[in-house]
Amino acid sequence: MEIRWDILAEYAPFFAKGTLLTIGLSVVSIIIGCILGLFIGLGKMSKNKWIALPFNIYVTFFRGTPLLVQILLVHFGLVPLLLGETNGITAAITALSLNSAAYVSEIFRAGIQSIDKGQMEAARSLGMNHQQAMRLVILPQAFKRMIPPLGNEFIVLIKDTSLVAGIAVKELLYWGQALQGQYYRVWEPYLTAALIYLVITFSLSLLLSKLERRLTTE
Amino acid sequence: MKRSKLMVVISVVFLLLLSACGTSKTGGDGDKKTLRIVTDAAYAPFEYQDKGEVVGFDVDFVKAVAKEAGYEAKVEHVGWDPVFVEIEGKTADAAVSAITITDKRKKSYDFSVPYFLSTNKIMVPKDSPIKSAADLKDKVVAVQNGTTGMTATEKLLGAENKNLKKFKDNNLAIMELKGGGADAVVADNTVIEEYVKNNPKENFVVIEDPVFEKEFYGVLFPKDSKLKAEFDKAIKKLMENGEYAKIYNKWFKVDPDLTEINAQQ
Repeated sequence: MEIRWDILAEYAPFFAKGTLLTIGLSVVSIIIGCILGLFIGLGKMSKNKWIALPFNIYVTFFRGTPLLVQILLVHFGLVPLLLGETNGITAAITALSLNSAAYVSEIFRAGIQSIDKGQMEAARSLGMNHQQAMRLVILPQAFKRMIPPLGNEFIVLIKDTSLVAGIAVKELLYWGQALQGQYYRVWEPYLTAALIYLVITFSLSLLLSKLERRLTTE
Repeated sequence: MKRSKLMVVISVVFLLLLSACGTSKTGGDGDKKTLRIVTDAAYAPFEYQDKGEVVGFDVDFVKAVAKEAGYEAKVEHVGWDPVFVEIEGKTADAAVSAITITDKRKKSYDFSVPYFLSTNKIMVPKDSPIKSAADLKDKVVAVQNGTTGMTATEKLLGAENKNLKKFKDNNLAIMELKGGGADAVVADNTVIEEYVKNNPKENFVVIEDPVFEKEFYGVLFPKDSKLKAEFDKAIKKLMENGEYAKIYNKWFKVDPDLTEINAQQ
């Protein structure tokens, strides 16, 4: 196995551009996924089963079908239907956000429900209303517990952005495949891509463990 | 109270979705409309990516044809199967991707007049026992999914044969052969001949077999596209005035033999 550094040097600017897009797609999808996920999680917890039903269906669908299938559905079905033409980046962000929202909603729900009932009762007995109790007592505690599973989800999402190379979105893996297509080389493009993904996910997990340590109360 | 809040959330989500609808179909009909032409840029020398730019014979050819017909052309790489989805859904104006004109495809799409003659051939390692198409039986063959190479191989091996490996593009099929996961690749002659010529150290050879029929490439359009007539006229013009031969020579270093193509037109 010999590495041809010259073609890697030639493709370095494209790997750089691809890495930026990968990070961009991940950040945007994580943000949209978290916002949507929070609402879906709250909806799922609703005591009215008619309100909870659509959210249950949503989570069942997006958690129960492969992300690649969702990406193809969004790219060739939903986006042309709404915009009149295909748009890889829109499709990528939509599919990734919708998918991660399903997982995030479950993390939120689990986090909130893991807080002892007595906390809510104590807050209410101190004169807080439901909303205040939620905001000031339940959510801060729940948030701490959500960090590890959320970190997991973010890392999975970053890795899953590589799937959108299949719809020709010019992210990291896309350029790896382009290099392979031009030079028919295996190690250079894919090891490079793997290494860059690793750097991104590793930095994120460092960041998250720092945040976790900061929030420790014991 | 909780309920009304949820309704607000739901309506905001719907509004967001609706506002996305508003941006559809802008591109006005100016004097020189830019056509969106899609391709699978993994089929050198017809179309491939050279450091991010889609280049190749097909790309130069279709740009010249579009110019002759009075359009600008933007060629975009989307992948092989997506090419057909985009044309079927009319999200692209045309596709050029070394696409063979077949009766089956003609049922769902329109084709321009033929612009290139091609045949499927077999690519194998030099020391392979495979000497003809008949030897492919019981051998593992890698092809690109949805190509005429795949159809031809299916005819030889039987459809859905477990020895037939269908890949997303031809590069991956060749990589599989290189990696030892397949005994042969069946694809259009120009593509594998070019590969063998450019990679002499890898010791591959190309086998011809009369079992594979002659094929013609055409530009692909959505059914009943108005562009077809304009492109046909432009293609014929380029073949007459020598522009076609110039592009052909640039990519294949020989002059084209137009007799069979002209006979088809």
